[in-house]
Amino acid sequence: MTESAVKPTSPVQAPPVVVARGLTKIYDTGGSQVHALAGVDVEFHRGAFTAIMGPSGSGKSTLMHCLAGLDVPTSGTVHLGRTQITGMRDGDLTLLRRDRIGFIFQSFNLLPMLTAEQNILLPSQIAKRKVDQARFDHIIDVVGLRDRLDHLPTKLSGGQQQRVAVARALLNAPEVVYADEPTGNLDSRSGAEVLAFLRDSAKDLNQTIVMVTHDPVAASYADRVVFLRDGSLVDEVHAPTAEVVSERLLKLEA
Amino acid sequence: MLRTTLAGLRLHKSRYVTTVLAILLGVMFVSGTLVFADTLKASYEKSVMGSATSVDAIAVPEAEEGVDEDGFALEPVPFDDATLDDIRALPQISEADGLVRGEAVLLDAEGRAFGFVPPAAVAFGETTRFSASEGELPDAADEIALATSTADQTGFGVGDTVTVLDPEQEKREFTVTGLVNFGVDGSYSFGGAVVFAPDTIQEMTGATGYSEINVRAAEGTSAEESATAVATVTGTEVLTGAAFGEEMAESAGAQTEMLRVALLLFGVIAMFVAGIVIYNTFAILIAQRQRELALLRCVGAKRGQVFRSVLGESFVVGLVASALGVLAGVGVGALGARFGGQLVNSDVTAAVVVSPTAVIVGLLVGTLMTVFSALVPAARATRVAPLAALRTSATASGLEKGTGWVRVAFGLLAFGASAALVVLSRSMSPDPNGLFVVTGAALIAFVGVVVLGPLLVRGIVRVVGVPLRRLGVPSMLAVDNSTRSPRRAATAMIALTVGATLITGYSVISSSFETTLTEQLDEQFPVDYQISAQYAPEGPNAAAPEEGVEEGVAEEGDLSEASLEDGAPEEGAPENGAVEETAVEDAAVDEESGDPLVPSEVQEKLAASPLLDRVMSERSTYLEDDLATGGMALPVTAYYDAEVGTDIKGETVEGDLADLESGTVVLSETYAEGVGVGDTFTVPAPSGDLDLEVAAIVADGATLWGAIIAPEDFTAAFPEITESRYLHLRAADGADAAEVREAVYTAVDDYPMVQVMSVAEMKNQFSEMMDIAFYTIAAMLGLAIIIAVFGISNTMALSVLERTRESALLRALGLAKGQLRRMLSVEAVLLCLIGAGIGIALGVLFGWAAGAAVLPGLVFSIPSVQIAVFIAVAVLAGLLAAVLPARRAAGTSITGALASE
Repeated sequence: MTESAVKPTSPVQAPPVVVARGLTKIYDTGGSQVHALAGVDVEFHRGAFTAIMGPSGSGKSTLMHCLAGLDVPTSGTVHLGRTQITGMRDGDLTLLRRDRIGFIFQSFNLLPMLTAEQNILLPSQIAKRKVDQARFDHIIDVVGLRDRLDHLPTKLSGGQQQRVAVARALLNAPEVVYADEPTGNLDSRSGAEVLAFLRDSAKDLNQTIVMVTHDPVAASYADRVVFLRDGSLVDEVHAPTAEVVSERLLKLEA
Repeated sequence: MLRTTLAGLRLHKSRYVTTVLAILLGVMFVSGTLVFADTLKASYEKSVMGSATSVDAIAVPEAEEGVDEDGFALEPVPFDDATLDDIRALPQISEADGLVRGEAVLLDAEGRAFGFVPPAAVAFGETTRFSASEGELPDAADEIALATSTADQTGFGVGDTVTVLDPEQEKREFTVTGLVNFGVDGSYSFGGAVVFAPDTIQEMTGATGYSEINVRAAEGTSAEESATAVATVTGTEVLTGAAFGEEMAESAGAQTEMLRVALLLFGVIAMFVAGIVIYNTFAILIAQRQRELALLRCVGAKRGQVFRSVLGESFVVGLVASALGVLAGVGVGALGARFGGQLVNSDVTAAVVVSPTAVIVGLLVGTLMTVFSALVPAARATRVAPLAALRTSATASGLEKGTGWVRVAFGLLAFGASAALVVLSRSMSPDPNGLFVVTGAALIAFVGVVVLGPLLVRGIVRVVGVPLRRLGVPSMLAVDNSTRSPRRAATAMIALTVGATLITGYSVISSSFETTLTEQLDEQFPVDYQISAQYAPEGPNAAAPEEGVEEGVAEEGDLSEASLEDGAPEEGAPENGAVEETAVEDAAVDEESGDPLVPSEVQEKLAASPLLDRVMSERSTYLEDDLATGGMALPVTAYYDAEVGTDIKGETVEGDLADLESGTVVLSETYAEGVGVGDTFTVPAPSGDLDLEVAAIVADGATLWGAIIAPEDFTAAFPEITESRYLHLRAADGADAAEVREAVYTAVDDYPMVQVMSVAEMKNQFSEMMDIAFYTIAAMLGLAIIIAVFGISNTMALSVLERTRESALLRALGLAKGQLRRMLSVEAVLLCLIGAGIGIALGVLFGWAAGAAVLPGLVFSIPSVQIAVFIAVAVLAGLLAAVLPARRAAGTSITGALASE
C-alpha cells in the first residue's frame, strides 16, 4: 500500500517531463513550523494525465505550486525537462511559465475585460509568439467555442469559461499543463465535458497534464492517481475508477 | 455599531492614507492662509502702532473743501513755523517737531532718475514717530537715509554713496546712514522716499512748512489732553499717536484682507478637488465592502445604522486628517510669514499668530467636506441587500451601470447651454459682465463633463487605445482596464481636470494678453524707443492757460543749470532763452497739465543721429472747457515728423487716417459723439476756435486718443507748446542694436530726468510680469493638482487591491513583474492624460472666451510651450500615481493571491 517512489512499471513508457526529488516546504506560522511537504519524490511522463489527490491540508496544492514554479520549496529539486527550475530567479521563472507551462485554475481563470479569443491568445501575446492557426482552429473546434470567441467571460457559462481556460493552456503545446481543481466550480455535466477534453488531449496531442483534485470522479479520468497525506506521497493507482479512488481516499482520511 | 465602525477603520487604515493626505493638504492650505494673513496683519499693526505710539499726538494739515480750477481736490497747506512755535509754547506739550516734506530726484546706480515720479524727500526733528530700522537717521549735511522699499528697488544699502539732484539740478552726493521703514503708507510706498537731515531738506527740496507735527505731552498730561491742546492751535482734528496708529493699521489691514481672500480662493479650489477625491475613495470602498456591509445587514443592522456607520467612518477620517492639516497649516503659515513677507513688501516682525478662527475653520472645513463627500456613498451602502453576503464575488458588478440616456441628454444639454452662453458673451460689448457670463458657461460645461465623464473616458480611451494596444500586452491590458469602471475613472480624472482647466485658462488669458499688447505695439506704433520725462518734483503747476506762458528754459544750455525752483521766477531761472516766465520748471512742463516734456535739445541730438531713422515727436495738450464733450477734458495731439495712418495706426470706425491734413481732425470714438466724417468739429484753442473737418474716427483703447490734428494746425493753435510729451524713435534699418542704444542714452546723458523706454525692454518687462503672475498662480493651483494626483493614486491602489487575483493570474501566465508595473503605469498615465486633456481643452476655450470678453481686439494665442509642459506634468503625475500601487501589485505572492478568495 505504501509505495513511496514511483516505479517504472507505469504503462506509459515515455521519459519523465517533470521530476521532483526530495521536495520539502516548511511554513513558519508564528513559532510553530508546518511541514506542507515532507520530502516528495515524483515523476510525470510525457503524454500522461496524472491526478494528485489527498485530503484537505495534505499539501497537494503546495506540491503543484512548487512543481509549476509558482512557489519555492524549502529544499529539494524540480526539473522540467532538462531545466532545473528550483533556484531560478523570478524573471527566469516568469519566462519558464510563459513559454513551457500551461495553467488551469478552479475559478477566476479569465480576465474579465478580454473576450474568449483574447483570453486564449493572451499568453502568446505576452510572449510575442506566433500562433499556430491550425492548432488554434483544432482546439477551438474540439472544445466547441467557435461561436463564443467574441464573448466576454461574463456572457459565458461556467463550463464554457473553463473550456476557454483549457484551450488557452493547450494552445502553445506546453511541456506540462497544471490544472488546479478545474471542475471544482462546475456542475457534473460541464465537469465531465472538461475532463473528457483533458483526457482526450493527453492522448491525442500527447499532452502531459497534472491535475489537483479532491473529486474521485474527476480523478477517474486520469491515467494515474497519486495520493498525498501530510505532505508525503503515500499511494498510487493506475487506470483508476471512481470507486477505487474513493476507497483509497477514505482509508487515507481514516 | 460605533465599535464595528472603528474596528473597520483600524483594519482598513492603509486604504485611507491617500485620502487623509488629500484632506490634509486642503486643510493645510486653508489654515496656513489664515495663519499667514493673521501674522502679516499683526506684524503690520505692530510696526505701525509701534511707531505711532512713540509720540503722543500727531497733527496733520487738512485740505480746504473744494477743488482748484483744474478740478483737482485742494492740496493741504503745510503748517508754518509759527504754528509749530505756538504748539511748543503750549503748557501741555514738552516737545514738538515738524516733518518737512518735498520731493527730490534720486539717481539709480546707472545715473538715471529713479522711478516714474521722484521719491518723497522728508526730514524730521527729534520728536518723530519714525525711527531707523537699520543704521541711523541722517544727521550731517552729506548724510541720507532711504526707505526700505527704495533701498530694495535701487539696490543701495547702508554705507553706499547715492546721488540726489538738488533744485538747481546739480548732482549732490550723500552717504546712506540708515534705512527707514515707512510701512504701507501710500504716500511713501508709491514713489519711494529719502530722508535728509533737518538742515539739509530746505536746500535739497526747497520745501517749507510742516506736513506733519509730532508732539510729546508734558509730564502729567495725557496723550488725549495734549492732542486736544494742539488742536486748539492748528484748528484741525489732532489724533493721539495710538489713534493715528489704529487708523494706519486699518488701512494696512484692508490690504492683508485682499491677500487673504485671494489665497482662500485657491484654498477653496483645493478643498473642492479634495472633496472629489474623498467621494471617489468612499464610493470605491463601499463597492469593495459590499459583502461586509451585507453581512452587517444579515446579522440585523438596520439601513440607518449602516448609513450612520459609513458617515461615522468619514467623520473620524475627516477629523483626524483635518487636525493634522491644521497642524501642518500652522507650520506652513509660519514659514510663509517668515519667507513670504518680503513678497508683499513687509518685514514680518510679529510672532506667529494662531487665532482660534484658523484652527476652527480648518477643522470644520476638512471634517464637513469629508462627511459631505461621503453622503452619496453612504446612501449607496444602505441599498446593499443582505443577500449580497452570500454571493461569491467580492466586487459588486451591479454598482457600475451603463450610461443612461437621461445622463447623455443632460450632459449634452449642459454643453449646449454653455456654448450658447459663450456665443452670448461674444455678442456683448466687452465689459466685466461678459466675464461673469463666461464663468457661468465654464461652470455649466464642467457640470456637463462631470455628467458625461464615464462616456468621455470610454470614448477617448477607444480612440487613443488604438495605437496604445499595438505597444504590447501591458499597454493593451491597461487600455482595457481603464474602461472597466468608467465612472470611477471619470471621477478620479475630473479631480485633475479642475486644476488643468484653471491653469490652462489662466495661461491662455495671460499669453493672449501678452500677444495682444505686443501686436498692438508692433502694428499701431512700431517704434524702438520711447522718450519721456520724469514727472516734475513740484507736481501740477496751477498756472492757467490764459497766461500764455512760454517755455522757460531748455532751448539753450544745459538743463542742469536750469532752475528747478518754482514760484520764484526771479531767482535761479536762466536768463538765456526765457521770454517771459512765471513758473520755470527743470526741463519743460506743460503748463496746463503739469506733465513733463522732453527738452528739445534731446530731440535735436537724436534727430542728428544717423543711427536713427525716425524721430517722431508727440505734442499734446488738454483743453478743459469743451462743452462738446460734456466738460470732459479734450486731449489734442499732433504727431510731428510722422505719418498718421502709416507710422501710427488705429482701428478706424469711419473714414481714413491718411486723410488727416491741415484743416482736418481725427477723433477717437468717445469724443466723436454726434459727429461723423465730413462734419465740422470745433477745437476750442485758447487762441481761437479751430473749426476742423472730421477725417476719420478711430476705436477707443488704442494709441490714438482724443483729437488728433495736423502738426501745422497744432503749431498755429498752440504756439507756446514747442516741446514734446513723448519722442518715438525708430532705428535705421540694419543699425546695430547696441550702438542705437548707446546713441539714445548719450543724447539724454545730461538730462537724468529724461526717461528712456526701450520697447523691447518694455515687452520683456511686461512678459516678465506676466510670467511672475503665472508662476504664482500655477504654484497655488499646483496644490489642487497634487491632491488630484493623490486621488488617482488612491483609485489605482484600490483597483489593484480589487484585482489581486487577476494580477496573480497574469503573473502565472507569464507576465513579468516589470510588465505588470508598466500595465498599471500606462493605466494611470492614460487617466491623467484624459483628465489633463479635457482640462486643457476647456481651459483653452474658456480662457479665450474670458479674455475676449474683457479685452476688445484680443489676439488669441495658445501658449503651446506651457501646454506641452502641462501634458508632460500629467504624464509624470500618472507615473508617480502608479508607483505605489504598482509596487504592491508586483510584490504580491502569486500563490497567496490565488489561494485567497
